[in-house]
Amino acid sequence: MSEHKCNCENPLVPGVVEVIDIKDETPDVKSFFVRSIGGGVPFDVMPGQLGMVSLLPVGEGMYSVSWQEEQEYLHFAIKRVGLMTNELHRIEVGHQLGVRGPYGNGFPVEECKGKDMLFIAGGIGLAPLRSFIKYCFKHRQDYGKIQIIYGSRSYADLCFKDELFEKWPQEKDTEVYITIDNPEEGWDGHVGFVPAYLEEINPAAAGKIAVVCGPPVMIKFVLQSLEKMGYTDEQVISTLEMRMKCGIGKCGRCNVGSQYICLDGPVFNLAQLKQLPPEW
Amino acid sequence: MPILSKSKIKDVLNQLSQNAELFVPLARGDESGFYSWNSYQEGSDRLMLDALNVLLPPKSIVFPQTERMYSFTGNGTTVEIKETFESPQPRIIFGLRACDAAAIACFDDVFLTMGFVDSFYQARRDNTTIVAHACYQPGANCFCEAMGVDPTEPVNADVIIRDTGDSYIWESKTDKGEKLSAALGALLENKEAKSPQLQPFKQQANYEGVAEKLKGMFEDPMWEELASTCQTCGICTYVCPSCYCFDIQVKSWGDEGYRFRCYDSCMYSEYTLMAGGHNPRSNEQERFRNRFLHKLQFFSERYGKPLCTGCGRCIVACPVGINIVQIINQVKEADTSVRA
Ligand SMILES: Cc1cc2nc3c(=O)[nH]c(=O)nc-3n(C[C@H](O)[C@H](O)[C@H](O)COP(=O)(O)OP(=O)(O)OC[C@H]3O[C@@H](n4cnc5c(N)ncnc54)[C@H](O)[C@@H]3O)c2cc1C
Ligand code: SF4
Ligand code: SF4
Ligand code: FES
Repeated sequence: MSEHKCNCENPLVPGVVEVIDIKDETPDVKSFFVRSIGGGVPFDVMPGQLGMVSLLPVGEGMYSVSWQEEQEYLHFAIKRVGLMTNELHRIEVGHQLGVRGPYGNGFPVEECKGKDMLFIAGGIGLAPLRSFIKYCFKHRQDYGKIQIIYGSRSYADLCFKDELFEKWPQEKDTEVYITIDNPEEGWDGHVGFVPAYLEEINPAAAGKIAVVCGPPVMIKFVLQSLEKMGYTDEQVISTLEMRMKCGIGKCGRCNVGSQYICLDGPVFNLAQLKQLPPEW
Repeated sequence: MPILSKSKIKDVLNQLSQNAELFVPLARGDESGFYSWNSYQEGSDRLMLDALNVLLPPKSIVFPQTERMYSFTGNGTTVEIKETFESPQPRIIFGLRACDAAAIACFDDVFLTMGFVDSFYQARRDNTTIVAHACYQPGANCFCEAMGVDPTEPVNADVIIRDTGDSYIWESKTDKGEKLSAALGALLENKEAKSPQLQPFKQQANYEGVAEKLKGMFEDPMWEELASTCQTCGICTYVCPSCYCFDIQVKSWGDEGYRFRCYDSCMYSEYTLMAGGHNPRSNEQERFRNRFLHKLQFFSERYGKPLCTGCGRCIVACPVGINIVQIINQVKEADTSVRA
């Protein structure tokens, strides 16, 4: 487990960060780049780990750290879905927030070394996967072929467009597949849901690890498709989402069976998921 | 051995409350629970040392119903966050029973182990001295022994007192306990006395193998039947000495405020409700099942013991008579081979 690193010894008390940049990703997703007051990151994260972001006085919410840029900033991509995220979408550069973390187990970046990687995401689900994708690019020699399948409702709803369309396809031995739910003017790419597109592309299971993140329904269908395509339970990794408060396995809220998603998750392989009661 | 004569009990409580906030079991109006000895009202309050379990457990002394965590100022361009510890002065819990002491041991597992230490809990816990009262006459709803709790040897105790009729045997178990003994000085006498004999339990729960067996009973129709009368009122979680689930909330005015935590209940549907309306435990039956599985299976899997110490409070408090002993025995006896 990563060490707790903020300006206090108490894991439930956030440190203060300032927002150094904000970027519109989609009509309802914004990227927030934060760093500690006086520079540096409030804590180091591994891909897939989480941070609890506090907008004072409104609320707190758990977010995947979408990327840590060295000691410069943490990047969160946050969708406007409720009270606190509505307020968060109104703040401007220079605003100060609280953040505590890092929480969660993160992706098994070590175990995946030497493997071909298949990333499958829907909607805001690309935010957590992106930390792993970018990690693979940063350590390109450690990973084999990289395939990314990503879908959202419409073109406007695709997150991280510059990376999806410009940067990532340029990376060595990398394929990016993008789909949107319904046809629209000006879009000549693929149309349809992610699970169907996945079966159409049909990436061979041999030597591959599939990492899946998206809304619960998408995850359920993608897992079924992967199983059909011959992926074993150990080859498939996903993340779970539960309501969270403490982030440190104490408040009891985010349990699925005896596992706390904030501490033991959010990342599980399919073999582990099958051990859990189907309550997510 | 050191003996505390019942005739001197008030002197002892007065003495102990000199250097610490002392909590004792009292009946007060329609309620009973652990209250500060300083608030004791001669005439209206009644000391309940000889009763078994008072209505409310002493959990709030180590884990308050609401607790401030930090205060903040500023609402944007500059924010300042200051950790707050509420009154971590020394406390003594006097006269709690083995089930309640064991429940504090469950809290210790939750708050002090598994990667993160909860600083708020630790501050209170470190400052708390426990004088536990050994039980020899189990009450109508007691089943602690079945849950792995020895009523005559409370865990986590700094001092154990044992009732011999007109006095208590005073046995200090730790350094903290020795300090109390020293503070009492001549109020403790030195005499020979004999511990009582443990009487048989009236409630027979058979928990052996139940945690294991529950693994295969998640989808058992039993849960639907059992949950059908539950009102999801949450009283069972409130009176339970070992229930610890909490919420984190904020209170603010102008540019100031504080964040606090407070008891929550897994019986409420908001507990797992997420933005967008998704709720993995939206119906009563799912929440009911989660409460009992947490107590009887999940906690065991994680910490090696159940999250029920057999105090019987929920059996008494439940308005519709849901009974955890019956549930344990029903699981134990269930013939899962036919249902599979
Ligand atoms: C492991 C994990 C990773 C996540 N990563 C991201 C991410 O990278 N980007 C992103 O936009 N969102 C992410 N979320 C969802 C996010 O935590 C919040 O749920 C969502 O932003 C709630 O919006 P709100 O605070 O405006 O809703 P409000 O209406 O203010 O929510 C009220 C309360 O419900 C809780 N809550 C509501 N919905 C959820 C939910 N789906 N999951 C958990 N708690 C919830 C909130 O914590 C809050 O306390 C993640 C959730 C989890 C559990
Ligand atoms: S006290 Fe009884 S009715 Fe109320 S939530 Fe608990 S089990 Fe259900
Ligand atoms: S579940 Fe019921 S019997 Fe068990 S410790 Fe809690 S209140 Fe007591
Ligand atoms: S959020 Fe508190 S236990 Fe996971």
